[in-house]
Amino acid sequence: MQKKYVEVVDNKKKFQRSWNTLLSMVNRNVRNQYRNSVLGILWTVLNPLLNMIVISCVFSLILGRNELEGIYFPVYVLSGNIVFGLLRNSTVNSLPCIVNNYDLLSKTRIVHEIFPLSNVFSATVNFFFSMIALCLVMVIFIAKPGVGFHYSMLMTFVPFLPAFILFCLGVSFVLSTIYIRFRDIKHIYDIVLTLWMYLTPIFYSLELVEGHKTATAILKLNPMFHYVTYFRTLLTGSVPSLFAHGMIFAWGFGMFAVGFLIFHFSKKKFLLYI
Amino acid sequence: MENEILTPEIEQTNAGVLPLVEVKDVSMRFRLPTEKIDNVKEFFIKLVQRKLKYEDFWVLKNISFEIHRGESVGILGRNGAGKSTLLKLISGIVEPTNGSIRVRGNIVPLLKLGAGFDMNATGKENVFLNGAMLGFSKKEMQARYDSIVEFAELGRFMNVPLKNYSSGMLTRLGFAIAVDVKPDLLIIDEILAVGDAPFQKKCAAKIEELQKGGTTFLLVSHNAAQVKKLCKSALWIKNGEIVMYDDAEKVSDAYAADCNKQ
Repeated sequence: MQKKYVEVVDNKKKFQRSWNTLLSMVNRNVRNQYRNSVLGILWTVLNPLLNMIVISCVFSLILGRNELEGIYFPVYVLSGNIVFGLLRNSTVNSLPCIVNNYDLLSKTRIVHEIFPLSNVFSATVNFFFSMIALCLVMVIFIAKPGVGFHYSMLMTFVPFLPAFILFCLGVSFVLSTIYIRFRDIKHIYDIVLTLWMYLTPIFYSLELVEGHKTATAILKLNPMFHYVTYFRTLLTGSVPSLFAHGMIFAWGFGMFAVGFLIFHFSKKKFLLYI
Repeated sequence: MENEILTPEIEQTNAGVLPLVEVKDVSMRFRLPTEKIDNVKEFFIKLVQRKLKYEDFWVLKNISFEIHRGESVGILGRNGAGKSTLLKLISGIVEPTNGSIRVRGNIVPLLKLGAGFDMNATGKENVFLNGAMLGFSKKEMQARYDSIVEFAELGRFMNVPLKNYSSGMLTRLGFAIAVDVKPDLLIIDEILAVGDAPFQKKCAAKIEELQKGGTTFLLVSHNAAQVKKLCKSALWIKNGEIVMYDDAEKVSDAYAADCNKQ
């Protein structure tokens, strides 16, 4: 067996090159999404806000409730929606990212992982903008039940986001790899995502299926259930249980490991299949 | 440059002891599926019918050569001879099926018009994006920005999205960035042919200037005259094998003669 390798002894660090590219791409993604719109970057805050208004109007009419799990309904909906939005945003954009960047992959030296990473990070930046919208809504409804600012909300930045980002990355790696061989996955994932959203307690709560054992078990199998619940616990001012921490990290690391390995072992063949 | 680390190996390369590019017994095989399959249904049908057939195609066969620092090389050959694949291998974009390649220094590959650019972003944003891909931070590119724009002569168009650029303008921008970062090895794949005559002249002058500064060029061309003018030696590839690797004049003449024969 002959030795085979390509080695580039460079005086620039590979990591630094990739990091700069990543930053540049995230910057571009965030700016590009609202390019040529009159309000520009303001849409990143307005979009979740308007969405929340629609959803909370519709569902408070249907469900006829003002609060769920002790949180005022619009805040309840918006908090669930922005957590799910981060997943939706990062995976939907990551799905075709390797195929769409064929030119870059085949003509420049670039680390393949950058593409899913940049999409997940851009989605994270958008998540921060959505947090601004959430805070705005909370200020408006500060007098309502279960609405208030607590120190526990700071835990969004440290245990919550890293675990959740790992999870989103894992899903993105898997999807972008499959999409190279099978373009069908795009249409399938559209449907899966809708189903996934309805299986996640965004505008309802576990109370809805109270006493129904199988339904509760199914809902709890959904990793997004744990992320959304964790985030809402922070909003109510309490620290989530050890079990909740275990769940978000187990899903985060587990999904990331699976996704990364699949991506890593198929990336050499990417160029041949696109 | 701020973050340059000179390892002993790179110092030796700079002194001309070690070659800048070392290509050893490199072969490259492409597996061409007889039909393109990109959906699940077809994949399973073919799998069941055992019709997942591939056709092996050797683009490069046992190629070995060395390039020393400051010794620019032109690669000649007909379409499909394996020139572009060779450049991709040296750039580290794809891995060879067999053999090894070692490059000791900074590479800037200019393999395709507009690769590394985002067509929806403006010229200015693209300078930074492209710079980042070559390993430069925003700050470092800021310092280079003015000279890049000046060389590309695109001052008026830097805030226009790239999709509105002409192909000549894209070449200018790509080339201006590539030469401004002063790489050790600049790989150019036939893209210079797009620029107009004054710009081509300017490029030739710039290439000469960079060559004096120690940059090595590796360029693919169909144009034997261009290779003669810009390169010291030339490599002629035919059907994935090296026919000749010698002085640029000799190889160009032999190649031109071969082309005329057919």
